Amino acid sequence: MPSFELPLVLIAILAGTLAVTSAGRGAWVAIALLALTSSALEFSIADPNHISLILRLSAIGIGLAAALPENLFEREALRRDLALGTLVRTLRDHPVVVASAVAGLLLGLVPLALPIESSSDALRAAGIALLVVGLPPLLTSRFIEATTRAAVVTLSGTLLLRTSIFEALDPLGALAIAAGFTCILVVGGSVATRISNAEEER
Amino acid sequence: MTEVGTLTAIRALFPVLAALSSLALVPLIRLWRGSERDDAAAYATFGVQLLLLATSVGAALAGAGYLSTLKVGQITIDPSEPGRLLVLLGGIVFAVIVGAGEGRRAGTMGQIALFGIAAIDLALAIPSGIAPIALLLFASLGISGTAASGKDDVGRARAVFRDLRTVSLLLPAVVIAEILRTAISYAAVDASYATPASLAAGTALGVSLVLIAAAGVFPFHGRLIKIFEALPIVGSLLVGVWIPSALALIVMSELSALASSITDPLGGAIVPGILLAGAATLIFGAVSALLHDDIGEIVGFMAVANSGWLALAAAAALQSPTDTSSRLIVLPGMLTISLFGLWLVSVRRRYGTTSIRELGGWARRTSANGIALIAAIVALAALPPGAVLAARLNLLLLGGNPLIAIFAVIGQVTLIVAAIRLLLVGFTPQSQTVHEAETRPFANLITISLVAGSLFVAAAAAGWLALESGGTGPLPPAPSVSPAASFDPVPSSEPSVEPTPSVSASPEVSPDVSPSGSGEISPAP
Repeated sequence: MPSFELPLVLIAILAGTLAVTSAGRGAWVAIALLALTSSALEFSIADPNHISLILRLSAIGIGLAAALPENLFEREALRRDLALGTLVRTLRDHPVVVASAVAGLLLGLVPLALPIESSSDALRAAGIALLVVGLPPLLTSRFIEATTRAAVVTLSGTLLLRTSIFEALDPLGALAIAAGFTCILVVGGSVATRISNAEEER
Repeated sequence: MTEVGTLTAIRALFPVLAALSSLALVPLIRLWRGSERDDAAAYATFGVQLLLLATSVGAALAGAGYLSTLKVGQITIDPSEPGRLLVLLGGIVFAVIVGAGEGRRAGTMGQIALFGIAAIDLALAIPSGIAPIALLLFASLGISGTAASGKDDVGRARAVFRDLRTVSLLLPAVVIAEILRTAISYAAVDASYATPASLAAGTALGVSLVLIAAAGVFPFHGRLIKIFEALPIVGSLLVGVWIPSALALIVMSELSALASSITDPLGGAIVPGILLAGAATLIFGAVSALLHDDIGEIVGFMAVANSGWLALAAAAALQSPTDTSSRLIVLPGMLTISLFGLWLVSVRRRYGTTSIRELGGWARRTSANGIALIAAIVALAALPPGAVLAARLNLLLLGGNPLIAIFAVIGQVTLIVAAIRLLLVGFTPQSQTVHEAETRPFANLITISLVAGSLFVAAAAAGWLALESGGTGPLPPAPSVSPAASFDPVPSSEPSVEPTPSVSASPEVSPDVSPSGSGEISPAP
């Protein structure tokens, strides 16, 4: 696992950054990627008990299935939105978020005067970077889908930071948090649909 | 699983099982009656009411103790006495509210109530970790999302959106508090850390923030008001009052344990800050309740004022960790607001309006509603003076600030005046709306349950019944947010709160098993 840790951390941070900067397809695919990588980091694959990892992935899968907008999987549109050029352009258009992610990563690598000295550097860096990227849009965004995605990024970052210091969540905690991910995605999706329906009627 | 194990699981998870069974019961009733028939909704409502009452009785019989403690591998579900007490009373309160609310969605509201009280019971049964707080926060979000569904109302959707943002922000606060608390033990042995008192202050701030934001204490009162404006009353009460109160029990237990784990005074201005926020919330809620003319808004502001008391209690838990007054006021407060909610839903259903101007003479026309409001006022005033009033006064003394105490007393008196104003409106000449409204005879199942339920709940809230809320003993500690067994607790820093006898009729409480989550915080070595 440790050999995979650094690439997974980088992918998680990149996915988190894209999840809050992209719109539509790119953002949802990034959220799915973030969920996969952060769950793999949080519940180590070497752990013989995979129940928490399975729970988390199932919960986020159910939540995403409920929250995903229509026509997400149109092949042409998906290829266009996920093209490398589009992703790079998206990141270039949001330099503050990218700078925040890098700053968070560096900040996370430096041990502070807290018990986090003994914690896992990579997980801590990923956690703090995701927190730094997710919190501002969570606090300020007026768009429901963007806020929902920011909530998932923030929660993933929080849990990675927690895991870096303590151990992975106990089964009940994992169950509660998994339910929470589903809840955030389902409620966010339903609120977005309801508001857009009401606005269309108006 | 053996027969004993199955019985234990049923005892431990009874409210959850009842809530899950409603998912099958309601569709079956609709199938039986035919979804097009008018009485299908009424039967579904009646079925859910029965399930709520059964949950109440079942939780009381199962109790909190040795035989109800379920262990599956590393997982322990240990129903707590506060949790079972909340289920016992919650089942009755929401059964009456759902009955008084009637309507097409009453059955759904009953199901929401079942899941709400099941989440509270389960959260208070989980011994440690962030699971209880996470469970309550996400249950709150899920309930507000479900309660707001049904129609494309932008106001409702925005209230849920606000809730989503709040919940997503509070979990990081809990985790940061957890990390800071872990540092307290290092600070005692390593001078390079911040002092234990300042780290404890940071922890207290993080944990209190959860209570302050979830309960709607100033400056987060706007969320609570929006909830009461937008959501149906069952959803409003669960998200705005019941779940925050369950959170308050956990937070206060945590704060007590934290304060008793350090020898120096708590750093920062945490206690004065919480006291000030509490007093300001109480005054703001009470004055707003007095000045508004919409009974829905008035009940919302009463809930805001109640959250002020929760903040004062949290400050008292920090000031005097061994005193149990802070936990004694939680239950009466939530029952009182629920009574006002019951009265609100009953009046709104009968007269189709929430404006005071159109409700002149309501009490003369529907005396059962008058009895419900009088019961609520008695509960609010905690009359006759007893344990509940003593606990409130004790809280003010523990705060140690006469100005805060004066403000709190003024706030509470204003709140009572606001409630009496509602009653007086009921005895003015009848308005056109009231005069033309259809009423039902007094000897009617819904009316009788409204009156009986109001009196019972008022008796519990005012401390007449010998429940923990107004009884002789303190509530046992609620679960701690500490990471399980991270550090061994120091004997001298154990909270000295003693467990009380069970509220249930269950005689088999074993002395060998400590009450759930007996405050195993991780203090400094």
